[in-house]
Amino acid sequence: MTDARLSDFPVDDLISREALADERGLGDVVRQVIFGRISTQVAFFVVVVFIVVAILAPWIAPYDPVRQSILQINKHPSWDHWLGTDQFGRDVLSRMIHGSRNSLIFGLLSPVFAAFFGTILGVSAGYFGGIVDRLISRIVDMLMAFPELLLAILIAAALGGSFWNIVVVLTVAFTPGFARVARASTLAVKQEPYIEAAVAAGVSTPLIIFRHIVPNIAAPIVVLMTLWSASSIRIEATLSFLGIGTQPPNPSWGNIIRDGLSNMFATQWPIVAGGLAITIVVLAISILGDSVRDVLDPETAR
Amino acid sequence: MSEALLDIKDLTIEFGSGSQPLRVVDNISFAVSLGETVGIVGESGSGKSMTALSVLRLVPEAARVSGQIIFEGRDLLKLPKREMPAIRGKEIGMIFQEPMSSLNPLMTIGDQIDEAIRLHEDIPAPERRKRVLALLRLVGMPDPENRLSAYPDQFSGGMRQRVMAAIAMACNPKLLIADEPTTALDVTIQAQVLAMMLDIRARFNSSILLITHDLGVVAEICERVVVMYAGRILEDADARSLFSNARHPYTQGLLRSVPTLNDTRKRLYQIPGSVPPAGTIKAGCPFRPRCSVRMERCAVEMPPLRTYDPGHRVACWATAEAAA
Repeated sequence: MTDARLSDFPVDDLISREALADERGLGDVVRQVIFGRISTQVAFFVVVVFIVVAILAPWIAPYDPVRQSILQINKHPSWDHWLGTDQFGRDVLSRMIHGSRNSLIFGLLSPVFAAFFGTILGVSAGYFGGIVDRLISRIVDMLMAFPELLLAILIAAALGGSFWNIVVVLTVAFTPGFARVARASTLAVKQEPYIEAAVAAGVSTPLIIFRHIVPNIAAPIVVLMTLWSASSIRIEATLSFLGIGTQPPNPSWGNIIRDGLSNMFATQWPIVAGGLAITIVVLAISILGDSVRDVLDPETAR
Repeated sequence: MSEALLDIKDLTIEFGSGSQPLRVVDNISFAVSLGETVGIVGESGSGKSMTALSVLRLVPEAARVSGQIIFEGRDLLKLPKREMPAIRGKEIGMIFQEPMSSLNPLMTIGDQIDEAIRLHEDIPAPERRKRVLALLRLVGMPDPENRLSAYPDQFSGGMRQRVMAAIAMACNPKLLIADEPTTALDVTIQAQVLAMMLDIRARFNSSILLITHDLGVVAEICERVVVMYAGRILEDADARSLFSNARHPYTQGLLRSVPTLNDTRKRLYQIPGSVPPAGTIKAGCPFRPRCSVRMERCAVEMPPLRTYDPGHRVACWATAEAAA
């Protein structure tokens, strides 16, 4: 029957180098994100600065963040203490610098974990439907019914407030949100003719999910991730504020604000510094998230 | 007629359960021979798309499919589910109606065609790349080397339909199913896509099962035509005798409603009424309410497909009576 084979069909062997070089790799995506809009460049710069500061904390902090000094309590900013000192005479700038480690790790780690688990759950529920969907969706609903802060407090109270416990707490608290978004997006994408076309081309179910569905629902997940990393820093701050997050005397932005609040009539600088740092990082991450979403979508990327 | 590549026997597709299931395809049988182009024509809701989808077992899971779909001696309906991906794309390729949304917007077209090859054949990347270029050239894509890394949104509907055809032809399938491949395209692009399909058939001697509601498309490329109405086959004939000597009143009506260049009619002919919703016809011929030559018998009993000339089957009591 089919006498003609595709290999018989004349092809010039030349594959143009340009065509090969033109493909958009991960590097290009990253470059497009960073060198996109001015606001994105600024946001990227801000995030990088904060990360560098967090990494270099022990070397650049001018003082030991937990060393107290009765002679130096409640100082306003000076050349010796750029952000002043708190009620125990600890240098606020040093505490902020060391605190950025805890806050940023919580801010970035939990949303990434939650996005990972949430996407798996959501895509499974959306794609397979039926009993899988009902099971996952009900569990997600149950978790969603708790405000994430309450859930976090509950788990932290039960497990105690160690570093990994808080990461676990926040991951569990955020996973339902990701699962729900992933499920809804999967339901929408599943209806697209290109999914049916892929099935008709003989693509197997795992490949359909990883090559055709996950990339197409990535945009909302990434946006949610940046949104939650902001919330994560905030919730860690709240947990620390409530005394179940980062344990004193170790600093985090959250417990710097807590300590500052009880002492705000003596010196306002710890609250101002902590609040500003959280605001700036959260804003920068959100702007980056928007930009990542735009670049991931080829229609808006050009 | 030569050996049948695809032989559909007593295919019935029902939705819903209980005593009153909705029958969207009712007991149809027809065959597609090697190298033959068969068109299925019918209005919306005639069950033609469902028939096409059922060949690849792509009908929604809620549907109950019975009968036999014999492809190269194997009944596709009896194959285990996990063996279907090996048939889809490899043995049977499919082109869909919506070229605008049938491609993954996040993958380059080169990658998408490449994926179709890689799924079914174990060949090294440079060879695959050559094949991708050959396919793009086959479907008439200008400057294929520079299009490989383009995304679907950079293409027009006609170009995307060519990419779809390239994917469908990627593994040289024996049967190409095209579900209204030209419906979403404008007329000049339609002509180009049809020319492309004719070219594919000429080069690869593939059988084509073309689903359409456009008689012009049928006249252009089909060798045999199956006319479907409300889930049933009313007439099945080779294209030449269908257009010169349609025997079923429905087919006659369809042909009369096609405008021609030297038409002197003030109004185009139309068949009165519309296709009954699936499941509303309980007994008799589904076309009876709109038929100009209906008889009492039509309300009681569905006419069987009767062979008149060789290869010309018609299901109509009036035709049978006239011939007797």
